[in-house]
Order: sequence, then C-alpha cells, then structure tokens
Amino acid sequence: MSTPVPISLVVNGEAHDLVVPPRKLLSDVLREDLNLTGTHVGCEHGVCGACTILIDGRPARACLTYAVQLEGHELTTIEAVAEGDTLSPLQQALHEEHGLQCGFCTAGIVMTFEAYLRENPAPSEAEVRDVLSGNLCRCTGYQNIVTAVLKAAEAMRGGRGA
Amino acid sequence: MTTETPFTHIGKPLPRKEDRRFLTGKGRYLDDVVLPGALQVSFVRAPHAHARIAAIDTEAARALPGVLGVFTGRDLAQWTAPLRLAPPIEGLHPVEMTTLPIDKVRFHGDPVAVVVARDRYVAEDAAELVEVSYEPLPCVADTAAALAPGAPLVDDTLPDNLVSHQSFRAGDPVARRAEAARVVEARFDLHRHTHVPMETRGCLADWDAGRSHLTMHIGTQAPHPMRSQLAARMGLTETQVTVISPDIGGGFGQKIALYREELTVAALSRHFGRPVRWREDRLENLTSASHARETHCVTRAAVRADGRILGLELDLTEDFGAYCFYPANYMARVIAMILTGPYRISDYAFDVKVVLTNKCGNGPMRAPMAITSWVMEGTIDAVARELGLDPVEVRRINAVRPADLPFTMPTGEVLEDVTPLETLEAAVAAIDVPAFRARQAQARAEGRLLGLGLCTVVESTTYGSEFYKAAGIPGSGHEAAWVRIEPSGAVNASVGVMGSGQGYETPLAQAVAEGLGVTPDMVNVHMGHTDIAPYGMGSRGARGATAGGGTLYLCAQKAAEKVLAIAAGMLNLNDAQGLRLQDGQVERRLEDAWQATGVSLADVARRAYLDPTALPEGIAPGLDVSLTYDPPAMTYSNSTHACEVEIDPATGRIAIARYVVAEDCGTVLNPLVVKGQQQGAVGMGLSGALFEEVIYDESGQNLTATLADYLVATACELPNIEILPMHTPNRKTPAGIKGMAEGGIMGSIGVIAGAVNDALAPLGVTAEQMPLSPQRMRALMRGAGNFTYGTSFSDPGTTAHDTTTHGTPGNSDGRTGRA
Repeated sequence: MSTPVPISLVVNGEAHDLVVPPRKLLSDVLREDLNLTGTHVGCEHGVCGACTILIDGRPARACLTYAVQLEGHELTTIEAVAEGDTLSPLQQALHEEHGLQCGFCTAGIVMTFEAYLRENPAPSEAEVRDVLSGNLCRCTGYQNIVTAVLKAAEAMRGGRGA
Repeated sequence: MTTETPFTHIGKPLPRKEDRRFLTGKGRYLDDVVLPGALQVSFVRAPHAHARIAAIDTEAARALPGVLGVFTGRDLAQWTAPLRLAPPIEGLHPVEMTTLPIDKVRFHGDPVAVVVARDRYVAEDAAELVEVSYEPLPCVADTAAALAPGAPLVDDTLPDNLVSHQSFRAGDPVARRAEAARVVEARFDLHRHTHVPMETRGCLADWDAGRSHLTMHIGTQAPHPMRSQLAARMGLTETQVTVISPDIGGGFGQKIALYREELTVAALSRHFGRPVRWREDRLENLTSASHARETHCVTRAAVRADGRILGLELDLTEDFGAYCFYPANYMARVIAMILTGPYRISDYAFDVKVVLTNKCGNGPMRAPMAITSWVMEGTIDAVARELGLDPVEVRRINAVRPADLPFTMPTGEVLEDVTPLETLEAAVAAIDVPAFRARQAQARAEGRLLGLGLCTVVESTTYGSEFYKAAGIPGSGHEAAWVRIEPSGAVNASVGVMGSGQGYETPLAQAVAEGLGVTPDMVNVHMGHTDIAPYGMGSRGARGATAGGGTLYLCAQKAAEKVLAIAAGMLNLNDAQGLRLQDGQVERRLEDAWQATGVSLADVARRAYLDPTALPEGIAPGLDVSLTYDPPAMTYSNSTHACEVEIDPATGRIAIARYVVAEDCGTVLNPLVVKGQQQGAVGMGLSGALFEEVIYDESGQNLTATLADYLVATACELPNIEILPMHTPNRKTPAGIKGMAEGGIMGSIGVIAGAVNDALAPLGVTAEQMPLSPQRMRALMRGAGNFTYGTSFSDPGTTAHDTTTHGTPGNSDGRTGRA
C-alpha cells in the first residue's frame, strides 16, 4: 500500500517523473514534490473547492485524486494561468473588482472559471453563481467574484472591460 | 462612490497590493513555509464529550516506523505552564487549564495525546493506534442541564457550571413596567456557529538550540500577544521568541488565542531540537478549534401605547462550551453593554449568565456581539406587532436623534458622531416601504409570503484602553507604529495589527501616504513579524482602520515634521512654516499657491542619512520615527439594513429579493476594501442565520464535522448587496476614522429575522430560533393553525399573535437534541 510507485505526468507543460506512495493525494504531490504551493487545501473532502486544478483541461479536486491516477495526464495549476507578468483577463477582473480577500480560495475559483469561460463564453449571472457554488469563499459574500467573472467573460469576448 | 474629503490618498478606491500574489498562486500561507527536516504531528482526540482518562497506551503507535514519539498531558505539563485566567471581574470564576488534558476530557474532540512522525500520513496512522481507556462521565449537553441542581461539573475546580454571572441596572425598569401600557416579551435563540476560515489552523515551530530561540510561524491576528503567551508558557523571555505570521487564509476571530495544540507543537520543537509542524484538518477545525455564539436572550420592554420604550430588561444566557480561552464574560458583556444602541432608553437592566457545557470552547467570532441587533430590533418588531403599530414608526419614536448627541447609553457608553436615524431613513427611502407594503398585500391575497425587515446597527468598533480598564480586563487598546524613510526616499512602515485577508496593505499604505505626503505606491507596510513590527495589540474587533491606520497616520505626520524641518534647512529657511510634502516633493506656499521647491523626499533622506553634519541645529541623523496611540474608549459605526424576502410555503426556502445597507463608518481609508468588508460581513451573517449550525446530540457528539454537514452558504444562496455609503467623521480619532467590518454580521442576522417574521405574520407565528433553515420554516408553518396552501392571507395587523409557539421552539421545529 505504501510502497512508492513511479509515475510520469505533465504539469504546466513540464514533464515530471515522480515516485510517490499510492495513497499520496495529488494536492500533496503538487505542493510537496513539485513545490507548486498555489494549489490550496481547504477541507480534504472535496467540498470547498480550494484545491481545484485542471486535469486535461477539466476542473478537478486535487484533494480527492491520488497522484498515481494521473499517469500520462496533463495538469494545469494556478501557477500557469498568468503569462509572465500579464494576468489573465479573469485574474485582472478579480483584481479590479476586489473579487478576493484572504486569497485562500482564489486559485480554485480561477481554475474553475478559466475552464468554464472557454466552455461558455457568455454566461448569465445565474449560471456564474451556479458554477461558483462549487467553491466556498468565506470572505467576500461572492458578489464581487460574480461581477469579476462576468466582466472577464465580456473582455474575453472582445468587449470593453478588464 | 466619490465623497468630498480633505484628503489626497485616504478615501481612494485603490485595488489591493496583495492581489497579484494571491491571483498567481504566489501567496505565502503557513503550509507554503517549508523548513528542512520538519516533523509532523497529529493529535489524538476524545471520542467522548466527558470522560475520565484512565490510561493511554502508546506502544503500538510508537512502534510504527516513522514515528518519533507520542506524548500526553503529563509530558506537556513538564515542559509548559498552564493557562490561568483570573481577571478581577466580579461574578467571574478564575479558571486554569493544562496544555493538554491530564485527568479528563471535556468535549468530543478534546486533544488527549500527540503523535510526532516524519510525515503527516504516518502521524495520522499512528494516532489511530493510540489506545486511550476512558471512563465516561455524564454529559452536560446544554445550559439547562448545566444549571440544574447537582449537575456534573464541566470544570472540577469550580463550584458550579455558572462560570460568569453579572447583573446591572440603570434607572428603574421594574417601575417602568408598572407605568407601561404593555410589557412585551420577546425571545431570541442564536445557535452555535464556528468560524470556518478557508485555511484551517496550523503552525510551524522552529527551536534553535544554539541560540535558545523559538521561531513560531503561525497565522495569527495578534502576533505580539501571541509572543507574550508563548514566552510565558514556555518559560522563555520575550527576547527568545519570534512570531512570524505569513499570509492568513481567513481568521474571523479564530486566530487570536494561543491554542493548546500550538503550544504543544512549540514545546515539541524544543524537545526534539527540530522544526515541528501541525496542519489542522477540517474535521478538527469544525469540532475542536473554537466555536461561537449559542446565546439565548429574553427581553421585556415596557412600552407606551404609541410604542415608546420606557424600560428594557435583558436576560442572556450563553453556552460557552468546556474551556475558557478568553474571560467567559467577554463576548456576552459587550452584547448587554451596547444592546440599546440606536434607541433612547434610559431605564435598563441586564442579567448575563455564561455557562460551561461539554462542547468545544467558545471564542470571539466576527462579531462577538453578533446577536445584539437582532435582539434590539426584534424587540422593536415585537412591540409593533403586539400594539398593531408600524415598525418604522416605532423605530422613529425611539431613535437617538441628531439633537441627542452626544448620547450616553444607560450603561455609560457614549455615542458621538453617529447617525442611526439618518441610516434608517435612507434605507426606508431606498426600499420605498409603502410600495413594498402594496406588493406584500397583493402577494398575500395570492397566498404568497413576502416580508420586509429593518435592522439598525450601532457597532462597537475600536476598543481603547479606557474600555478595558473600565471592564476590569487586563490589556490595552493602544497600537504602535513606526515609519522609516530610507536613504533612497523609499518608505517602510510597520504596525502591530495583522490582517487575515481584509487587505491591510493598501489602505494602511494610504494612511501613511496621507500623513507623510507621498504616494501609496512608495510605501510598504510590514506586518506580522514580531522582530520587525512594534508591540501592538493585533487585529480584533474592527480596530484595523482606527487603531492600525490611525496610528500609522499620526506616525507619518510626525515623520513629515522632521522631513520638513530638514527641508527648511536645505532651502535656507528659518523653519518649516509654509512647507509641505506632496507626492514625495517638498512644496512651499507662496502667496496663495503651493509651488515646487525642487527638493524631494529622496534629497531630504540623503542628507538625513549620508550628510548629517549638514542638518539643522538640533536635528538628529536618520528618518526613523515611532509612535503609539490609544484610541478613545470606544468608537462606533452605524448602519441600517433592509431586506425583502419571500418564503416558499412548500419548501420553506427563503428567497432574498432585495438587500440594502445604509452604512456610516466615518472616514474610510479605502472604499473598495470597505465595500468588500460590508458585502462579506453580510454574506457571513446570512450564511450563519440561514444555514450554518454546529449540532451536538444529547450525548455531546458533534454531528457537523464536515463541510457537507456544517453548511456554509454558496454563491447560489447569497444576494447582491446594495450599499448606501455615508461618511460622518469621528471628531476624536485621527482623520475621523471609525472602523467597521463586524456590523454587517449584526445587521444581517437581525434583518433576516425581521423580514422572515414579517412574512410569517399572517400565519400568526414568529421565528425565535436560528438558523432559519427550510426545515425550521416548514415546522413553523405546519404549526400555524390557519395555514393551508393556496389560500389568501388576511392583513397581519388584524391577525392575533399566536404565542403558542413561544418558548417551545424545540418542540415545534422537528429537530432533536435542542433544549
């Protein structure tokens, strides 16, 4: 059970060969083995959404996934969202609209909506709130996050904003 | 949100400096601080609410490969001193606790042993292997059981479970009852909450054996008081302890006290001579970190026929749980002290009981006085209901008016520069109450339940040292800051408060920029490191802006004086009269205009540090200024919340149709951050009022140990908040700052209850117990005799108030385990 096994996976475009115990959570492997500490662990039972990352482009809970399940998969974490010093339109909108306070849940929310806005470039407020309900935020009351996501969607569609 | 102020940088909605690192995954929270060779701990926790510890068998755990040791309360007692809380407060029992329990456990989740291992997985495996033999004791499950004659003692050293009891009387409320047209009694039962910061507790202790020095990495709202506690309980001096708080993923009052687990980790680091870390899991956070509230209040208002309140009496009982990390009267006292808040009441009495039970200990949670406004406004609504009066009129007739200021509350608290009547009128106007009443009548005719709530809040924000002294609580409300202009002209500053996500870095830089005369981007405010920051009292209440910002503002002004004195010398002037620093440039008043002098802050700094012999007579080298400031005994902000709801009779769901807050929090440092605090506080208050609840069963088992059981509101449940900002400066504080951020909790709890009860009025039932969950709403509606689907409701003014549900909410709500 605890004998480490080798795995190969791609994280943020970089290939990694790792040796990890089968029970080690993906969130712990990202944080401890790859030093990608932007992925946060808030509940370790899949409710809070803070650890959300992209597996092959789709949002997933890193705390409910074992790293050994990821052999051959491509992962994207918060560290790869901005391009150099340029924030993504979503990150920029969250900054301008004060859509974050303590920042602990923020990475999970950014990853959730980086994927969702590609799938649905013109969401309604109700749709944004529905998707956001998978991420808990204790600081903001969500209002500014919703505003920021709608603003980012508009900017990404080529409208004014962000 | 433009407001005319005399300020250049204070009041600007600048986006926050910390955002960039948080948005890109570059924040540095506790778990991101890595020290080589750090050991990990896991705590063994009690499965019983109340039990004697007969034996602890650690052999199997210690035999597990990777385990370095297992330790118990007896070990910790050799390494650390117990916590004794004995402030000289009448009616408050002194209490003492060891670092880990030795003889008995007092709640489900109490730590009884700690495993130290090479990693967290192994530590948790080993914790499962520790065998503790318990002799279960009877559980004290609630305050009624705790106060019953012969009740088992939660704390064996106390004479009974009533750990604190205080009474107060101003005027003669009993005589007012005799004069009253009616005595209206109302009940309020605010359930047990917990803070749920998204980042749980944790710490990384690093004992340097060579220097005999402890460095404690820990997300703490109050780094210096944390250092004092650590040093005292470890037998160290304050020169031997450094507390460093990294970014904090939320605190809400849960990250102030030195908890037993944290002290244990520090002691273990010293024992092993290695770094030791602890990361609390969510189960531990929900069951064992700190709880809050569980306050039951009864008011009796003696009123005239027109609704004027002649006298008010409050009975308050708080279920404090098993341990006191704070003086037990601390939270309840503030509720009783400021209850009358926005209303002119002079005859007032309270009786406040704080009771120990076998639950997790209580602590302050944003807002410690959360129930206050619900109790006062709910009392007003009860008066209106029973007398058939308009609730807005009852508020108006009792309100503190501008001409009444300064107004002394019956408890001696003084309100100055507050505007409760103005916020009420602003909220009432924004809602258009007559239009709402017309919609409501129409809806009722269609069998729908619409309600409007109003809740005026007077929020105690900044507690000065005078307050603590008057309350008999050792401690201080002052704050300390330094401002250093470096040789290049760059501005470093520091203060003793520590943010836990609010976004202090930008507003506090604005306060420094304003006081000094530079731009906020030139300023870096350093917080959370006890070797860097001056000894301050940390962040609690809503003191960040008034104490933190105010102290920095004054300190920066003092620094500006020195800068200008040096500049005067450089400009061959006799003194600094007619000089100012603006955006880092020295300007001179000539005739009626400020004109550039060509001297910059960098020029002044260079002379101060690198050419001190050229300084004017009597001016010392360098630009390093420090200052302490003690705010007034208390500062207050005020607001009125208004909320429209519709209750679905079929499901009990409460839909919030509109939510308005008129808030006057004086001068604000950064309105963007303030608005975020207003929205966030309302969100947290509504989440608590509608969904969250720590539930213990009758045997003291915590049934809400995951986030699937302890329900925090999601984006689908919370409304958009409309803010009507008002800014009446406090004339006694630097820049007129008042502070804010807890009033939103008080207002939202009160307003949602008011709106729900307005909606329920045609049914003749009143919700007196929170959370206002769908189950509770349905139970109330089922209990209403006159309720059937699809029928229209009569006007509530003509509906008799059904008191049969009063006082027996536990019977009517269909839930078990509640008294």
